Amino acid sequence: MTTPSPSWVADPTIEVRAVSKWFGQKVAVSDLTCSFGPGVTGLLGPNGAGKTTLLRMVVGLLSPSDGTVTVMGRDPRHSPEVYRSLSMVPEEDAVYGFQTARQFVGYAAVLAGAGPGSVERAIATVSLGDAADRAISGFSKGMRQRAKVAAALVNDGPVLVLDEPLNGTDPVQRAHLIATFRRLGAEGRTVVVSSHVLAEVERLADRVLAIVDGKLAAAGDVAAIRRAMTDIPYRVRLEAAEPRRLAAALLESGVVESVTVRGHILTVETADLTGLGRSLPPLARSLGTRLSLFEPEDLSLESVFRYLVRGR
Amino acid sequence: MRAFLALLAATLRQLLGGRRIIPLALMGLLPAVVVVALLAQERTAVGAREVFHDAPVTIMFFIVLPVASLVFGAGALGDERRDGTLSFILLRPLPRSLLAAAKLLGAWLATLAVVGVGAACMSVVLGLRFSDWGTLGPLLLAVALSSLSYVSVFLVLGYLTQRAVLIGLVYAFIWESGMTTAVTSLATVSLMRIGLGAYAGLVPASRVYLTDILGAVQPGADGAVAKALVIAVLAVASVAGLLRYRDVA
Repeated sequence: MTTPSPSWVADPTIEVRAVSKWFGQKVAVSDLTCSFGPGVTGLLGPNGAGKTTLLRMVVGLLSPSDGTVTVMGRDPRHSPEVYRSLSMVPEEDAVYGFQTARQFVGYAAVLAGAGPGSVERAIATVSLGDAADRAISGFSKGMRQRAKVAAALVNDGPVLVLDEPLNGTDPVQRAHLIATFRRLGAEGRTVVVSSHVLAEVERLADRVLAIVDGKLAAAGDVAAIRRAMTDIPYRVRLEAAEPRRLAAALLESGVVESVTVRGHILTVETADLTGLGRSLPPLARSLGTRLSLFEPEDLSLESVFRYLVRGR
Repeated sequence: MRAFLALLAATLRQLLGGRRIIPLALMGLLPAVVVVALLAQERTAVGAREVFHDAPVTIMFFIVLPVASLVFGAGALGDERRDGTLSFILLRPLPRSLLAAAKLLGAWLATLAVVGVGAACMSVVLGLRFSDWGTLGPLLLAVALSSLSYVSVFLVLGYLTQRAVLIGLVYAFIWESGMTTAVTSLATVSLMRIGLGAYAGLVPASRVYLTDILGAVQPGADGAVAKALVIAVLAVASVAGLLRYRDVA
């Protein structure tokens, strides 16, 4: 498939085609088509949106009710060999409390047939060296998360699927893990990270797929997703010496839909951000006023996500 | 092979490492304690044999063996699913049959650690008291075969349902202890009697004491071994299929 769609990448390692999954009467994922390639892709959505169901289908823990999923050209449900290339950090606490972190990662290494040195390398990657010989049962949530990530990294595969990997981590651990995932993505690995925490996805991923109610709501980079929301006006903050005259001129030009003035700050809403950017300098010049601020107010994932959820 | 051994070791540690091993180990020794108590009043070897094959064997095969097999058999995969670690082993490049076989072997060895030690203690008490060592090997084979059969069935059950222990108890005490004892012809499909049949085949003198329990089962070790192995292979194949096709929610 070479559909020129933002949900599809040029060189996919994971292909999800027209996939649906239902549990009894409940539809968890509905006719979803997307792909993942090298680099970090964020899977964004509120709790219950279908992110975990999608990821579990990608790794073969769940079978699609309809559609197909392939990883590196193979169906993970029927080709356990694909797990030499594919690793997952599941959302649940998939750790053995009676093992130490080193034993846990070592167990993963033996089961994956990983080479010598892989255990120490994986432990070092998540900075768990100091606690590696302590029982996991005594670990904090964040440390357990890191142990799970180390176990997933141990086979050094090209595809890494992470379901809410930053849950329970403290800010320092989070920053470290985000840097690790970004580095893995930069090395050419396909890294898929799900999260309902928007700021995390924004920091983690170059590309974002937003899922709402089991459907793909938007795909692309943050700005592209925002541009896709053509029916939702952009909010831009402007600061001008003569705000009321500028407001009147903007409304007259038709390039903005509304303007709110508070002191020297104008908050304008427009469906045509490019048009506003183009027409604003000559307009200001013609009024003889000086612009000291042009700031799109809501180009964050938080606002995009709010729109996506609100629109349904 | 390394992966198989690692799975086996982790399964044994998982099953034998918890607190449940203490009551199970004590339960495993119960038949031996009963043998000690009963033999204290016996003066003859013939009487001792009769006593040995009465309450202690009954307690071992009707209570200890099914309960231990159920706990370990159902727990081998059931615990992994409950603890969320099933995905950890499934997301590895391993044949599903290897996972199933390692889990079955782990559960069987854990069960043997309880019932095998208990059975050995029973026979050792008889041997020390009356120099009758003829029951030791056959009894160990018998508990090995019955527990392999039970564990095979309970392994599948433990993966299929979270109510495996409840269903297993009903099976063990209503079907195995009740129905197959009450209806003689049903004894041939009893898992417990696979081991007892082998025991009766190897210790002919025991048949007189076990006739009622054996029902329609023909004593003999070869058939019993074959039966237990077939059940184990079917269980591995079933679990491998389930691991391959069943969703892990």
